[in-house]
Amino acid sequence: MGLRDVLPGGGTSSVTGGMFGDGSPTFLTSKIDWIINWSRRNSLWPMPFGTACCAIEMMASAASNYDLARFGMERMSFSPRQADVLICAGRVPYKLAPVLRRIWDQMPQPKWCVSMGACASSGGVFDVYSMVQGIDTIIPVDVYVPGCPPRPEGLIYGLMMIQEKIREESLSRHFEHRAEDPSSVARPHANDAQVVGLTGPFGNSTQQEELSNKESGATEEPPEELIP
Amino acid sequence: MKAGLDAVEEGPHPSERSTGSSDGKIDDPDGHPSVVALLLRFGDSVSGHRVSAGTQHVVWIDSARNLEILHWLRDDQDHQYDMISDITAVDYGAGRPIDVVYQLFSTVHKRALRIRCELPLDGLEIDSIVELWSAANWLEREIYDLFGVTFRKHPDLRRILMPHDYEEGHPLRKDFPLRGRFSRAEQTRRALDQSVEHSYIAEEMDLGRDPQQAAPIIGTKDGVGSEISDE
Amino acid sequence: MSKRTVEFNVGRNPEMGVDGSVVDSPILPFDMPEPDLGTENMLINIGPQHPATHGVLRLVCELDGETVKRVIPHIGYLHSSFEKLGEYRTWNQIVTLTDRIDYLAPLIYNCAYVMAVEKLMEIEVTERCKVVRVICMEMDRIFSHLLWLGTTAIDVGAFTPFLYAFQERERIYKLHEAFTGARITTSATRVGGMMADLPEGWTDGLQDFIDTFLNTLDEIDRLLTRNQIHIGRSQGVGAISAEEAINSGFTGANLRACGVEYDVRKDQPYYDYETYDFEIPVGKHGDCYDRYLCRMEEMRQSVSLLRQALERLPGGPIDVEDPNISLPSKTDCMSDMESMIHHFKLITEGIPAPEGDCYMAIEGSKGELGMYIVAEEGGTKPVRWRIRPPSFVNLSVLPKLAEEHLVSDLIMINASLDIVLGEIDR
Repeated sequence: MGLRDVLPGGGTSSVTGGMFGDGSPTFLTSKIDWIINWSRRNSLWPMPFGTACCAIEMMASAASNYDLARFGMERMSFSPRQADVLICAGRVPYKLAPVLRRIWDQMPQPKWCVSMGACASSGGVFDVYSMVQGIDTIIPVDVYVPGCPPRPEGLIYGLMMIQEKIREESLSRHFEHRAEDPSSVARPHANDAQVVGLTGPFGNSTQQEELSNKESGATEEPPEELIP
Repeated sequence: MKAGLDAVEEGPHPSERSTGSSDGKIDDPDGHPSVVALLLRFGDSVSGHRVSAGTQHVVWIDSARNLEILHWLRDDQDHQYDMISDITAVDYGAGRPIDVVYQLFSTVHKRALRIRCELPLDGLEIDSIVELWSAANWLEREIYDLFGVTFRKHPDLRRILMPHDYEEGHPLRKDFPLRGRFSRAEQTRRALDQSVEHSYIAEEMDLGRDPQQAAPIIGTKDGVGSEISDE
Repeated sequence: MSKRTVEFNVGRNPEMGVDGSVVDSPILPFDMPEPDLGTENMLINIGPQHPATHGVLRLVCELDGETVKRVIPHIGYLHSSFEKLGEYRTWNQIVTLTDRIDYLAPLIYNCAYVMAVEKLMEIEVTERCKVVRVICMEMDRIFSHLLWLGTTAIDVGAFTPFLYAFQERERIYKLHEAFTGARITTSATRVGGMMADLPEGWTDGLQDFIDTFLNTLDEIDRLLTRNQIHIGRSQGVGAISAEEAINSGFTGANLRACGVEYDVRKDQPYYDYETYDFEIPVGKHGDCYDRYLCRMEEMRQSVSLLRQALERLPGGPIDVEDPNISLPSKTDCMSDMESMIHHFKLITEGIPAPEGDCYMAIEGSKGELGMYIVAEEGGTKPVRWRIRPPSFVNLSVLPKLAEEHLVSDLIMINASLDIVLGEIDR
């Protein structure tokens, strides 16, 4: 039972011009959109999921020199129930993955996610047995901030990109933005094929020459030994 | 020497050229009174001695008598190794024995000493020294977790760094591949298990009420989306 | 051995005995037996995502009301297997890994690691390199203690010292960046020397920092040391005796607060620390307040050490002039075939090590930081690289310290131990 079923005409109406329907904004919706987006992007409450070195840079961003309070983000919400944007700062091992997933699930909509640093974005230096190779295999990520660790200016740029993203949102595309499949709660965000694709053999830096030679004859599938 | 992805998939290359182990050789023990005393008192249990890195004395002892010898080293007035700096293990790979290494320090006499016990791969068991130094508690748990060495009479021997129900093996062994034994997809799937058994160890479950009685998680393995009506 | 007992002239908390035991609580009259309310203990999970655990630490507590009956710490939520990664990398490649272990004092880890390798290979670094490394280590000791100070103050409820501490840390960040190019992940050392010599004007920047840092430290001191709230929350809390502390493996300021004069710089000196004039602050009661006082004083001693190091900074080369160990200069490589070959071999293969193992302990900011390296003959990669993290052993004492304390005391004790999860979980 969704909103579309109760509204006349499935949410489309010639009068409002399809407020929830075909996605074209009207005069009314664009003004409301502007106010809602403005208030959302200027009072984002970050949920700092800080684990390692990037967390220190995140703390430095919140401190006086690179003040996050200028953006309305000084109120770091450690309770996910009151947070808007999850900043995953630092490497996430598989032991911590269910915690991250749980925190993300506990955040109410609207929510965004910033993956701060190389380790959160792709595993970074740590292509090892215990490290999640990018949190996008676990939760949906909006902005990736590269760096090891990214400077506070880098994190701020990433947060400004979130603000840009919010600026582009619209009520007429509400379901597109906010819909979350309930069957994906507590399940990996990416399916098996995507996980393999995202974390496929990359090699460590000392072996890259061998790998690029191997790559030319290699297929997309991971080697047999890795599959239990 | 393995190259390319093989080395990464099959584990770090075993140390072929290292003598590593005690070969019965005894270096010059002069300059370290504890080594001299050890050789005198427990000579039959000492299987090797070496001076490493110029000044560091390493003594190999029989692993069956580690508790007794370390007890004497801690309590004897001339030696008094009251601080255990480190306990670790070394896996040389290729079927060689695993060494458990004890790094001792005496704050009274300002001396350091390294004791090593060899354990064959089919007998990875040694007595725990938690009763001597309580610092050994977590240090030995870590060796159990990462190498698979069992410590007899350890009060709380369970995994410490890996999840308590980790099934891929013991990571720091030389035959353990860098990226683990399961595929990434399988590792991700196992990691996202939100059940109570995965999050709490048996000891904690006895403490109070089942924490999930008060606040059950919606959408766990018991019923995906069962509390949410399907569209 | 020079030591100074730190004892501040403020009355001890009247409800706590000198050894931390609770004395005559005024709340319950002692002639009335406590009624049997039929209570049961509660299981509370703190962390791993929690502002007060200082990282991804999980504490499962059994509580009787507010009193902690038992606390079981769970770690491993940041396990990045540095030690296994090290087995795949050459000696110099591991240096970049070491910054990420203790990200609060990266230069200390950089130095500790290469010191262990140099000890194994019996390489003697140049005089200039020694003094530069001493400067780096003392600077990062202040760096780490400042973060500890800021976050501990926040745990007690004081927000301002956090901002002051971070402002000072920004100045050290600038010094890091000017020297190594990065704020946190410095990777400044190499086997046999440093990545580069100090840039021009860097010592002036450091002198500037030394001259003005103590003003801020005094400011924070004024805010916290005599503060009744801070005193009430930290005196008598988490006390431990000296024998138990040594037996449990406590090191660093935690151990010195119990009255034990153990500092690796004095007991197993390295890099001419025995020629520097500094004192090690030693406490008396072994509680959180004494740990706080010890660390505050350690920062002052570090400033004094920095001053002395700057005075004695000699000229000369920063790297060992051995082409088998340190990279030859680029101009030499381009003109001289032999240097080119050395450069090539050092980069592609690495430095061959002698057979053996080596344990090198230094006084890190958190305690005794040990690096244990096992190498095979001619090996360019370690057979085993073990980090003895001070916080790992310090944290294992937490269950003992927090028994029969309140939950808020548990947080205070956890903060006073000065742990960093990166090195605990490695």
